Amino acid sequence: MTNHWIDIRNADRIMIIGSNAAENHPISFKWVTEAKERGARLISVDPRFTRTSSKADIYAPIRSGTDIAFIGGMIRYVLNDIQTLTPANRAKKYNMTYVAEYTNAALIIDSDFEDTADPSHPGLFIGYTQNTIDAPSTIGSYVKTNWGYSNTTNPQSSAALVDNTWTAWTDLDEKCVLRLLWNHFSRYTLEKVSQITGCPQGTLEDVYSSYAESGAPGKAGTIMYAMGTTQHTHGTQNIRAYAILQLLLGNIGVAGGGINALRGTSNVQGSTDMCLLEHILPGYLSMFKHTDVDLNAYINRAESGKSIVTPAGLTGDRSASWWWYDTTDPYISGADNSNYRKYIVSLLKAWYGNNATTDEAYSYLPKKNGSGPNYTHIGVFEGISAGIVKGLMCWGQNPAVGGPDSEGERNALEKLEWLVVTDLFETETSSFWKRAGANTANIATEVYLLPAACSYEKQGSISNSGRWAQWRYKAVAPINESKPDLAIVDELVLKLKELYEADATAPNREAITRLHWGYRTSGQYEHEADPNVVAKEINGYTWSTGTALTSFGSLKTDGTTCSGNWLYCGMFDSSGNNKAKSRDTVDASLNQIGLYSNWSWCWPLNRRIIYNRASVNFDGVPWDNDHPVISYNTTYGWQGDVPDGGWAPINIADAGSKYLPFIMHREGVAHIWGPGRVEGPLPEVYEPWESPLDVNLITGVGNDTSYKGKPGFNNPCCYVGYLDGDNGKGVHADYPCIGTTYRLTEHWQAGQMTRNHPWLIELQPQPIAELGVELAADRGIQNGDIVRVSTARGSVDCIAVVTPRFRRLTIGEGASQKTIDHVGVPWHWGYIGLSTGISPNGSSGNVLTPHVGDANTTIPEYKTFLCQVQRV
Amino acid sequence: MPGKAILFDATKCTACRGCQVACKQWNDLKGVETTNRGTYENPANLSVETWMKIRFIEETNNGSVAWLFARQACMHCTDAGCINACPTQALYRHTLGFVAYDKNLCSGCGYCAEFCPYDIPHLDTNQITGFGKMDKCTFCQDRVTNGLDPACVATCPTGALQFGDRGELLMQGWSRARTLQGQGHPDATLYGENQLGGLHVLYILDRGASTYGLPVDPQLPLAQTALRDIMRPVGYGLVGAVTVGLGVNYLVARARMVREKEDR
Amino acid sequence: MMDHRDVERFSGSTRSLHWIVMLSALILAVTGMVLYVPQWGFIAQDGYTRVIHRVAAVFFVGVPLIYFITHPLKTLRFVLEAFTWWRDDWKWLKAAPDYYFGGDESKMPPQGHMNSGQKLFWTIALLSSLGFIGTGFIMWFLSEQVTGWGFHWSLFIHDVCLIVGGTMIIVHFYLGVVHPRMTESLRSMITGKASTEYVKGHHGKWYRETSLKPRKMNEVDNT
Repeated sequence: MTNHWIDIRNADRIMIIGSNAAENHPISFKWVTEAKERGARLISVDPRFTRTSSKADIYAPIRSGTDIAFIGGMIRYVLNDIQTLTPANRAKKYNMTYVAEYTNAALIIDSDFEDTADPSHPGLFIGYTQNTIDAPSTIGSYVKTNWGYSNTTNPQSSAALVDNTWTAWTDLDEKCVLRLLWNHFSRYTLEKVSQITGCPQGTLEDVYSSYAESGAPGKAGTIMYAMGTTQHTHGTQNIRAYAILQLLLGNIGVAGGGINALRGTSNVQGSTDMCLLEHILPGYLSMFKHTDVDLNAYINRAESGKSIVTPAGLTGDRSASWWWYDTTDPYISGADNSNYRKYIVSLLKAWYGNNATTDEAYSYLPKKNGSGPNYTHIGVFEGISAGIVKGLMCWGQNPAVGGPDSEGERNALEKLEWLVVTDLFETETSSFWKRAGANTANIATEVYLLPAACSYEKQGSISNSGRWAQWRYKAVAPINESKPDLAIVDELVLKLKELYEADATAPNREAITRLHWGYRTSGQYEHEADPNVVAKEINGYTWSTGTALTSFGSLKTDGTTCSGNWLYCGMFDSSGNNKAKSRDTVDASLNQIGLYSNWSWCWPLNRRIIYNRASVNFDGVPWDNDHPVISYNTTYGWQGDVPDGGWAPINIADAGSKYLPFIMHREGVAHIWGPGRVEGPLPEVYEPWESPLDVNLITGVGNDTSYKGKPGFNNPCCYVGYLDGDNGKGVHADYPCIGTTYRLTEHWQAGQMTRNHPWLIELQPQPIAELGVELAADRGIQNGDIVRVSTARGSVDCIAVVTPRFRRLTIGEGASQKTIDHVGVPWHWGYIGLSTGISPNGSSGNVLTPHVGDANTTIPEYKTFLCQVQRV
Repeated sequence: MPGKAILFDATKCTACRGCQVACKQWNDLKGVETTNRGTYENPANLSVETWMKIRFIEETNNGSVAWLFARQACMHCTDAGCINACPTQALYRHTLGFVAYDKNLCSGCGYCAEFCPYDIPHLDTNQITGFGKMDKCTFCQDRVTNGLDPACVATCPTGALQFGDRGELLMQGWSRARTLQGQGHPDATLYGENQLGGLHVLYILDRGASTYGLPVDPQLPLAQTALRDIMRPVGYGLVGAVTVGLGVNYLVARARMVREKEDR
Repeated sequence: MMDHRDVERFSGSTRSLHWIVMLSALILAVTGMVLYVPQWGFIAQDGYTRVIHRVAAVFFVGVPLIYFITHPLKTLRFVLEAFTWWRDDWKWLKAAPDYYFGGDESKMPPQGHMNSGQKLFWTIALLSSLGFIGTGFIMWFLSEQVTGWGFHWSLFIHDVCLIVGGTMIIVHFYLGVVHPRMTESLRSMITGKASTEYVKGHHGKWYRETSLKPRKMNEVDNT
């Protein structure tokens, strides 16, 4: 979340898209409800009419996976409105200063750039090459040479846009971002969007006009999204579309605005911060690559593309570019002193302490080989299936239920030599060999099930979606032999150290033996790791004195400081108090906008709303005086939230120090134009891997039913996996319905915790398949019947919930118009526990889902696939 | 009507059912074995192990659909059919206004269940012996008399459930209902102000009460009035009159017989 | 003049029937009334009185049923007699008040085996028993099936029966046990025998009919 949970109450418009917040984040509706009471309008965009939709002022049904069309249509609506209005009225209805000065809308792009709208390569940006290798891979990739600014160090800007004097698109420079944006999204007409999404045009207009009202200066609209957005082959671009819309409406950095990812579990934010993902290190530092021959090479590579860029023609005249040090910058002084170097050196210090030099520490650590195994979830299972990955530790994860094409993943587990599952209960994964159809004679996997303590049985911090690190204390002792995860890791590492110490010939032995590892203290933590010690190390301290550091600005490049995660530096105060433990219920923020800055602590530097310098004008005065995030006063300086950089406002600062607001970007302005993603600087409508359409209605590229898919019809860079022949691809003729998977309020993820709980099983006792009244009538399905939902991967039996909440949609154009029906299957159920599925495979929705992933993140496409449903 | 009340705002309820689970947790009630009957709603009915539940109502109107959620639990009526019917006085009105009960006194007769206009009290009665006890929402008597909100209210994330003085909640409820009326819900209302002498569970509804499955004007059964207000006094009167009559008869008859004997 | 020979008035099975039904009715009344009189309600807690009520109900229904199966004709005749009213019965009723207030029994018209008062008692007793049994059955076994009002009015009727039937029991008890003139009837229900004198007075018609053919009298009772 750019903002935080409580801040939702400050919104004037709330669009929940790709999320079912009321069901999966019930507490969020405390704040949504407060906003509604204040007069906010709630818009729910979802293929299914959910408990979220039940509270919405406008409900917009869309075909699953068509977010880019839906939002693209809104971007077109806003752009068209902006262009049509007179400059004076335009500035009243939209925050044109924000758009022109705080985003890259006015900047000029490379003259050779060519859009997907270019008829010579429909659906593809310039620079594409299709991949021909017949192995798990992306289907193609881009060389981004022509995606950047025309002037790479001092991008020029369109004066007519900055001065707000233009009336026609041709008044803007041809390659100005805003004009390119119009060029790209002008194709997304209401009619076209309706044909793609199936959402009636009238509903589209209602949503567009209502949400666009949040663009006025002083108004705020928030987008709440979750897995319905991300779990697509174009999931990252879905979010890009939201970001572009929010920037056009001036909704980033302000109270009640933002792009708010509702994380799927209470600590997903924390696990991401701490490098759950395979391509990053703690604090989102780049992962080491095999080409980074030493630490300097790594830092140079990681910093490249982060050099400072200063846009020309904007009122702000410089960017902070937080990632990269500029020797001329008075704010950060000292040679070879880039933040990146501080962070990585302090991280290596935290890991190896005085047991190794920084260079030695770097040399011990594994480097990622670009052509080697891919360690995303999908990649790991392909690796297991191919016999490359031989052992697996599943920590609070249950891929036999939660993984895509889960029958395929269950089969893959049989090839492991060993498997360690750490969980509260026996899981489908730890018992994969007990599943129906498993031939135990052929399974040699040695399985260990370690009993874990639950959240009430241990202390430690969790980081919520709003980036708040909140300390929790132990309420009761763990039962029987169960232990906190930290204690298990601690024992494991100490044992590994012992074994490596004893074996002088062990490969890369020092990587383990030299680890700085000493988390046990006295008393309660005499025999297990003390989370307080870990927290302090994550925060960072001066090595020699042990004094906690209060800001990542104090981290050093010379190895005299350590910090396990620079983002968390500042969680401790100088006396060593952990602010994650603070519980002050007084809201001392300006106008009590609900920051509660002394309740827990949030990264970075306790900044509750990031990019908050975009919430004020050049004089430091908030756009919205009712909900000021920060405000500048010549006597007192900045007040309110911790500002995104403490420099004076643009108009008050001296020339050459007028800092632009988006400090994490090297240009200092936000990315409406975003060349960082692999499949293009702007989102384009791409069909899911399994699509009911014959032609992509935006790009005009036809459906190629080949296994890999067709670039331009499908996402040209998406990841298509193979899972030892298990991952079949279906076609519309065989699988006429659109399947989607999701969670229910009453159950938790893969169900380990909730399917063993009678109170929750009582509420949702059995796996269900939800479908519309029309489809049920066609198939002769009655409410409560057992139905079989099948895809090219497998089939599951569920109880039919026939409901008018699932609406038949009409999609396509002209003669090829067709109706489509969604079938929804929750994925909670399995074959172990108190409540199990109806079919022997456990009736998990993920038996149905494909082993394909997003182009940027490889998150599986859980949300859209083709399926069939029949009465059993 | 003084005392405390629970205010349920249907327009704020997201049917997360935290209340339903919190009720079971606080009151130590067992999970009930259920099956999916083609709806999210479960268990199908209240029981001795389920004192409150959320009902799911799908309403279609001209192609648009609404999903409505209604709380179902004891309404804590002022004119409570259950209290009237309870022969053992196990059910009684608490000074805070709600319908409390002393489970020790319960005979298991089930009259409360039969005379409740909302079908709330349930019993685990053995059909043959008749042994059993009634259970229903206690208004979290153990909590509210110790300064805590009822468990369901304490759990509700959206503020759909509130607890407080009935008078204040009435004002708040009507104010909200009027706001809703102005927001395109002409039938919006506050349910429970006058029903059965005034309920201690009030409902803010954006549609008519009947859409939410609530009786618009619930009445105590005529048979109950007949029993309590006619039959019982008549019975006492008749038995009294007969006893007195027989007593007089005895005295007179005895006197006459004694005289007869003397005469003889 | 007094005839001190005893006449066999009630057979053993009839007397057993009477006492079992009477005892169960008493139990039913007491255990029922704890639910009727609010001040007695506490006695019903935990449902023990309700179990006793149900056990008594089984006897109350079952024993007469067995009697009916073993003595169908006699029972039917008995019921027929209770519901058959003769001109004498009306005369009896007219004369009864004076008699029961200690008047001269010679003014009473002669009565059969069952006098008019008893007929009145039995009519009410039979009807209220049927009411009790019918509504009790509904409340016991059909509470799930009958709609709300079905149960409500069953309970209502059950209570009406209690008031009417209960009152009749009080009168019956008074006349049978307390009333100074009716000393013989209790004895006859205990021993089965009544003095000829008493029978002549109270059941003259029956006495006349049976004394002409005394063996018949036994036949009647033993059928």
